[in-house]
Parts: sequence; C-alpha cells; structure tokens
Amino acid sequence: MILSAIVFLPILFALILTFWPKENSIRPLALGFSLVEFFLSLSLLQRFDPTTAALQMTEKSMWIPRFGIQYYLGIDGISLWLVLLTTFLTPIIILASWKSIEYRIKGFHVAMFVLQTAMLGTFLAMDAVFFYVFWELSLIPMYFIIGIWGGANRIYATIKFFIFTMLGSVLMLVAIIYMMYLTQEATGTMSASLLDFYKLKIPFVGHDFFSLQTMLFFAFAGAFAIKVPIFPVHTWLPDAHVEAPTPGSVILAGVMLKMGTYCFLRWIIPLFPEAAEYWGWVFLVLGTVGIIYGALVAMVQPDIKKLVAYSSVSHMGYIVIGIFVFNQYGITGGLFQMLSHGISTGALFLLIGMIYERTHSREISKYGGLASVAPLYSIVFFIITLSSIAVPMTNGFVGEFLVLLGVFKAQPIYTYFAISGVVLGAVYMLWMYKRVFFGEKGELFKDEHHPIADLNYREMAVMLPLVVMVFWMGLFPNHFIDYSKASIDHLVKNRTNYSLAQDELKNENTQARWQGEGK
Amino acid sequence: MKMDVSWKDITLVMPMVAIFLTSLIPITIKVLRGNREQNPLATLIQGLSGLLIALGLLVVVGTIADGASAFNNALLFDPITQWLGAVAIISAGASLVMMYENPATKGEQFSELTFLTMSSVVGMLILVAAVDLLTVFIGMEMMSLSLYLMIGMSHEEKLSKEAALKYFILGSFASAIFLFGTAYIFGTTGSTNILNFIQDTAGLVQSNRLFLFGITFVMIGFCFKVSIAPFHAWTPDVYQGAPTPHAAFMATAVKAVSFAAFLRLVATKSLVGSANLFDVLQWLAVITMIVGNVAAILQNNLKRMLAYSSISHSGYILIGLITAGVSDDGSFGASSVIFYLLSYSIMTLGSFALISMMEKNPESITNVDDLAGLAKSRPVLALCFTVFMLSLAGLPPTLGFFSKFYLFSSAIKEGLLWLALWGVINSVISVYYYLRPVVTMYMKEGDAQIAGHNLTATTVTIFVSALFIALLGFVSGPIFSAVERSFL
Repeated sequence: MILSAIVFLPILFALILTFWPKENSIRPLALGFSLVEFFLSLSLLQRFDPTTAALQMTEKSMWIPRFGIQYYLGIDGISLWLVLLTTFLTPIIILASWKSIEYRIKGFHVAMFVLQTAMLGTFLAMDAVFFYVFWELSLIPMYFIIGIWGGANRIYATIKFFIFTMLGSVLMLVAIIYMMYLTQEATGTMSASLLDFYKLKIPFVGHDFFSLQTMLFFAFAGAFAIKVPIFPVHTWLPDAHVEAPTPGSVILAGVMLKMGTYCFLRWIIPLFPEAAEYWGWVFLVLGTVGIIYGALVAMVQPDIKKLVAYSSVSHMGYIVIGIFVFNQYGITGGLFQMLSHGISTGALFLLIGMIYERTHSREISKYGGLASVAPLYSIVFFIITLSSIAVPMTNGFVGEFLVLLGVFKAQPIYTYFAISGVVLGAVYMLWMYKRVFFGEKGELFKDEHHPIADLNYREMAVMLPLVVMVFWMGLFPNHFIDYSKASIDHLVKNRTNYSLAQDELKNENTQARWQGEGK
Repeated sequence: MKMDVSWKDITLVMPMVAIFLTSLIPITIKVLRGNREQNPLATLIQGLSGLLIALGLLVVVGTIADGASAFNNALLFDPITQWLGAVAIISAGASLVMMYENPATKGEQFSELTFLTMSSVVGMLILVAAVDLLTVFIGMEMMSLSLYLMIGMSHEEKLSKEAALKYFILGSFASAIFLFGTAYIFGTTGSTNILNFIQDTAGLVQSNRLFLFGITFVMIGFCFKVSIAPFHAWTPDVYQGAPTPHAAFMATAVKAVSFAAFLRLVATKSLVGSANLFDVLQWLAVITMIVGNVAAILQNNLKRMLAYSSISHSGYILIGLITAGVSDDGSFGASSVIFYLLSYSIMTLGSFALISMMEKNPESITNVDDLAGLAKSRPVLALCFTVFMLSLAGLPPTLGFFSKFYLFSSAIKEGLLWLALWGVINSVISVYYYLRPVVTMYMKEGDAQIAGHNLTATTVTIFVSALFIALLGFVSGPIFSAVERSFL
C-alpha cells in the first residue's frame, strides 16, 4: 500500500486544494502536504532491502483484463532515489515559489501536485500502459505551469515542449502495443507488464535496421531521447527553461529530464539488450556531442538562465554516455549524476529565480559586483557553482568521475572528448560567476536608494537542504550508492536475461526467454 | 416476393415506433392549441422522454432479438444496432437539450424542431439496423431530409440558409450516387441485401466491372455522410452555418449511424479482402486524417475547427473499419469502432455545448480568441472544455486516449502497423490545434463571458460529459469488453 499512497496522495492533495475556500492559506497548506509526502517517502528507506535486485513492495492487480493491463507498482534500487529526489524537491519548490508565483496560486499548487503524481507514477509503474498514462499525464500540468506562469514568450515555448515530447511518446505507444501482442504470441495471454516484456526474446539482426528489435529500440529510445534531451532533439529545452517560472524550471531540470534517463535504464537496456549494444555508439556519439556542444553554447549565452539550461544539455550527456557503456561504473555514475544534477541544477535555477525577483533581469552584462552587495547569496551560489563544475567533495564530482571511469574502461575514445566538457564546464560557470559577482558594480546595482537585499530566512531555508545535500552526496556517496548497488550489478550482469521478479532472481541465468516472433 | 410480417417484426421495431409516436405529441398539442407554442420546457420533456423510452426499448429489443433480423432481412438487430443506436439516441437527447437553450433554435417553432429531430432519429435507427441497401437508403433519406429542414429553420438568416441549401444539394447528389450504385449491385447480383451478395463480393469485385462501380458508388455515398476526404468539403461550411446544436447532432449521431451502415458493408472479410478496395480505403483514411488535422490548424472559427476535427476523427474511425474488414472475425475492430464513436460523441457533444453557451444571439460567431479569459470568469467550464480538448487529442488519462488505444491496438493486431503510425502522427498534429483554445482560455488576457440568459440544461450536459470523459477512462476496460462480448 505504501507505493500507492506515495503515488496517489498528491492527487488527493490537489483535490483538497481545489475545493479549499481560502486563497491565502493555500501556500502553508501545500507546503505541509508536500512535507507529509516527503516524510512518507522517507519511510521507503526503512522498508527497502538494499541486498536484492528484485522489485520490492510490489502492488499488483488487474486493471484492463482484456489487454492484460495491470495496476502494477514496484520499486528497486534504480527508482528509489529518483522517487526521493521528486518528493525532496517538491517542498523546496513550494517554499521557493512563495513570492514568485503571484497570481492563480491555487491553480499552481494543484498543477504541482498533479505533476508530482505523474512523475512518481512514471518512476514506479511497472506496467507499460500504466506507465504510459503517467508519462503523458506529466505533460499536462507542466504545459500549464509554463504557459500560465511563464515569461513573455511562454506560449511558444510550452507548445513546443508539448509537441516535441508527444511526438516521441506516441511512437513509443505503438511500440508498446506491438510488444503486448508479442507477449500474446509467446504465451497466449496478452500482458502489458514490464516483467513479462523482459522475458521476450525479440529477434535481432545486427546490420539490419529493419529488424524487429532495432525498430522497437528506436521507437522507445526516441521518446526517451527527446525527454532527456539528447542532442539534436534538445531544442525544446532552452526555450522551456527560459520561459518557465522558477518552480517549473526546477522541476523540469530536477526531475522531468531524469524520467528520460531513468527509462533508458528501466526499459531500453533490459528490453533490447542486443540492439542497445549494437546501436549504443549512436548514443555515445550524440551524448559526447551534447556534452561539448552544450558547454560551448552555454559559454556564449548572455542570459544566465539560458546558460544553465544549456549546461543541462551538457550534463545530461554524461548520464547518457554513462548508461550506454553498460558497466557498473558507468551506470552507477549515470544514476548518481541524475541525482546530483537534480540537486545542483535545481539549486542554480532557484538562485537565479531569487535574484530575478529582485532585479527583474537575467542578463549577465547588467550584473557585476554582486558579491559585495549580497555576500551570503554569493557564497551559496559559489558552492552550487562548484558542485555544477564537479569539484571534488561536491556531489557533481562523484557522478562525472564514475561516468568517465566507466566510459574509459569500455570505450576510451569517448572519454578523450567527454573530458573536455569538464574543462569547458569550469570555463562557462566560473566565467559567468566572475562577470556576475566580481568586478565593477553592474548597472542593476548602481541605484543606491534601492539596495538589493541578501537572502532572507525563507530563502535560506530553501537553500539549506540543497547545500547540505551537495556535501553529503559529495563526501559520502556510498550512503546513496549502496542502495542501488544490487540493482545496478544485476542490470549489468544479466542484461540479456533480465528479470525483476523475486522468484526468478533465485535461479538466475537458468531461466530461458520466451520465443517471440514478429509479424 | 411474399412478405411475412409477424409479431416479432413489429416488436423489434418498437423503438422506432415509440420515437415516432412521441414525436407527434408536441406538434399535435400545438395544432390543438390553435398553432400556439406550448411551454418549450414541456416540449423538451416530451421529446426527452420519448428518446428515453426508445433507449429502454432498444436495450430490451436487443436482448430478445439477439442478432435476429426483421422484415425479410431488411433490418438486423445485432450489437452494432444496439450500441450505435444508443449513441444516436443519447446524442439526440443532448442536442435537444442544447436546442432548448440555444438562441438560434429556442422559443418559436421549438415543437416542430423537436418533431424533426426525433423523426431524424427514427431514420437513424432504421439506418443502424438496415442490412438491405434500399432500407439503408430510406433510413439515410429520412435522417437527412429532417436535418435539411432543421438547419434551414434556424433563427439566423444568412449562413444557416446557405448551409441548408449546400447540405441539401450535395446530400442529394450523394444519395443519388448511392442509389445509382445500388442499382448496379442489384443488376449484377440480383439482390440489394448486403447479407445476400456480400459473400461473393471478393470475386465479383475482381471479375465484374459493373459490380465494382456499384459497390464503389455505394461507398462514396457513405463517405459523403461520414465526411471522408475527398467527400468532406461540405462539412466545415455546414457545421459553421448550422445552429450549434445541429452541428453537434450531425457530428455525433449522424456520424455514428452512418458509420454503422458503412461498418456492415466493410466489416466482412470478403470486401476489404480484395486488394484494390483495401488500398483505396487505406489511403482514404490517411488522407482524411491529414486533411482534417492540417486544415483544422488554420481555423479561427471554433465550429469550423471542430468540423475539421470531426473529419480527422472519421479518418481514425476508418482505420477501425478497415481493421474489422481484414480480420477473420470483425468483432475486435468493430468493437473498437463502436467504442471510439461512443467516446468521440461524448467529447464532441460537450465541446459544442460550450460553444452553444458562448452564443449570445442567433448571429453570433465564436472564434478561438473569444475564449480568452474564460478560465478566470468561468473556471469550471474552462476546465471541462480543456478536458474535452485533451480527450479529443487523445491524451491519457481521458477517455479519448483509451478509445484511440483500443482502435490502434486492433489495427496493430491485424498487421496494419502502417495505419496505426499514421494515426498517432496525426494525433500529434492535432494536439496543436486542440491546445489553442486551452492556451487562449488560460494564458491570454480577455473578458470572455458566457451568454447571459438561463443555460442550466446545457451546463448540465457539459458537466455530465466532462465527468464521463474524465472518469470513464479508468473503467473503460469493462465497457470495451462488454461491447466485444455482445458480438459473441
């Protein structure tokens, strides 16, 4: 019941908020709700058994028997931290939006909670159609968050975001339906359960692009690549980030992008192991290009938010190459990088939002000398900057280091190029930091009569957990990795006959895959 | 030919008889009152109760008939009749409610309008049950003639007259072509009954040029009624010119019953099995989806946009029809078509109901921009309209997603992956224009207001349909299985 509660409590909160009569008590109420959700999800750590790779706390019942579609929730070492990341960021976002969301406060919080359900459902659903419902549902609240509370060009950005993401996912829907029929052919009963999909042996011919597994692989990978986003389908991301309100950017960068990379681990690698291995180079190349391209473009951005948006493209590239080398280091690093990117980029967007509330400008050239105006803000910003450029002892270092280690072990050539992203990352972040915080006072701070205030207590409360996490994850990465180790080892070792079911894990390697032939 | 009319035949047509008899009540009262209109509410209640009785009878008749035919195989009472007949009756009821409150249709002559609507439904019920091409023709004409009159009766003076005339002339052409085709079929096979000649069609289509002409003309007649491109050109003009409730009626009930008759013709393996017709239908489906969706992007008038959207939905449904036609037992494809029509009707009725509420006088035109700010002035209605739009676009977890899911999975099952891909790509295109009203309502400043007068009944229609759309998706599995089981 715990997983159902975690997934559907936010919807209940959204309903309560919808009918809540008083507009001015919405914010504390929503904050309280999101904290309840966070503490509830913390109890997962207690119940979770890190020694097994099997799916835990499963809840399963038939939803649409005609098509074998189930209500199926489950958690393992791969999804555990992403669930916690989601529930951890939500209260922070609600607290951070205290001042920045000025109108339609009720609608905003309702959208936020619906979005939370959609994201948690995406991470926890173990049935393809059930998963797809959450995956698509996440678009709708995000669409409203960008479109209603966003910047000047918000409508263009939100429609672009919606259509890009949907284009990928409808092809995935066709592939899902196709795989459901494959299970029917193999066993006689149709099933949309991911665990039944894992048992399929989908025919694969390496050099043939039209072989069944390759086609299905690209149908799924396309949907996830757009979500991540991998170069060259990343173009919706800068638009969406720049136009989105601060809370929208944080949730987008912090969690929604992770939906894509998570699904590479959950769907692509175990479902299409041969195709993933054969075509892995495509994603290694695109990921590497993304790292360098994102960093170079970030360097020349005049707008701080756009700079961070492009840095996301660069950082997500690490996750992608880490995943596609299929070894422990790479995948552990990828997973760790997902979390640390969620924390550090989320924090960067929050910080940018805070200063934007004061100056109403994001242009780097108008800043300068902020360090003397707002010292506390500068310190926090610097810590997060260090985390973003992966300085040792911060969370960013662990992820990027593990990824590069894994890639070097398997495909060293990509490391030579990817490593330049680390240097470029330092260049654009530190250069930005220099221009914003040091030097002459920028035109925004010339006005002596209206000094820019430093962080207030609310904003400190917003940033404190994030700063703590930066160091906690940087200094004690094993606290986090230990929970995922069994799952990742299992994924790496048994890619070709993957399973998550408790009973099948005991006699690993002996279980044969079903034979399924495509039409 | 000797005709035996037994009591069973009479029993089976009771739903039609019931509607016909109740439809006479309002106009008889009007005559008895010296041509003075009775209270429109009374007329509405009479009309709705007639439809409700017919709905009940349809369910009863469906159970006792159990696939039986009546009047020498002229009418067939199978699941298609039952489900799509029910869709037609429900749509007619909802449209009648809108007519009661729409400025272009309410008040004067409402009893005549009720009579015409219900006699149109009688024609529809004949059409859904018809298996003889001549009976199909009678049903189709009865339905259409009433509609021509209904559109022309609008209180709006210019566009509706043009629409009525356009619809009448083009509709008559289509009927004539249909009848012409029927004559060819009779000439080559000696029968007009689908059940008699359908087994031989595969061979006849290949060997007999005249039969091919005949069957093609018949299909063109259907394509016109359900607005399959390139026979769709009347749809936007007529939907725009007709009063909004009538447009809703045409987009839902007319489409559902015409597809029922089309389904009977196509959903037999023999017809679509012949390669040429299969290719033609397949491309018609693709072209219809593209034409509908791409043209809808360019529209500003909401009714016109919904007209093009209804064209594109015909394309999706045609995929289901083809699926039913190529499969060994057409029940999966046919059920997905029925389910799609059911959910499509609910969401379309809801959307038109909202447009109807926006109209302040018979002449008013509702553009997309007129919705600006509706989310602020009427948040609940705006939310309902958003639900309809998202459902039409096929986004989960609305009912529209599940109907598309069933439709496409039936297509993929029959190996029509190609068509399913066209379908999903088109639903991405459609997202663009379905989101436009949502963008306007929520993200643009404006002072949209619904029309001032009393609109309780239409509001209830909107709420009920929005509730269905939002919630039925979760229990769509059992509903779909029920539709499919009824074919066994």
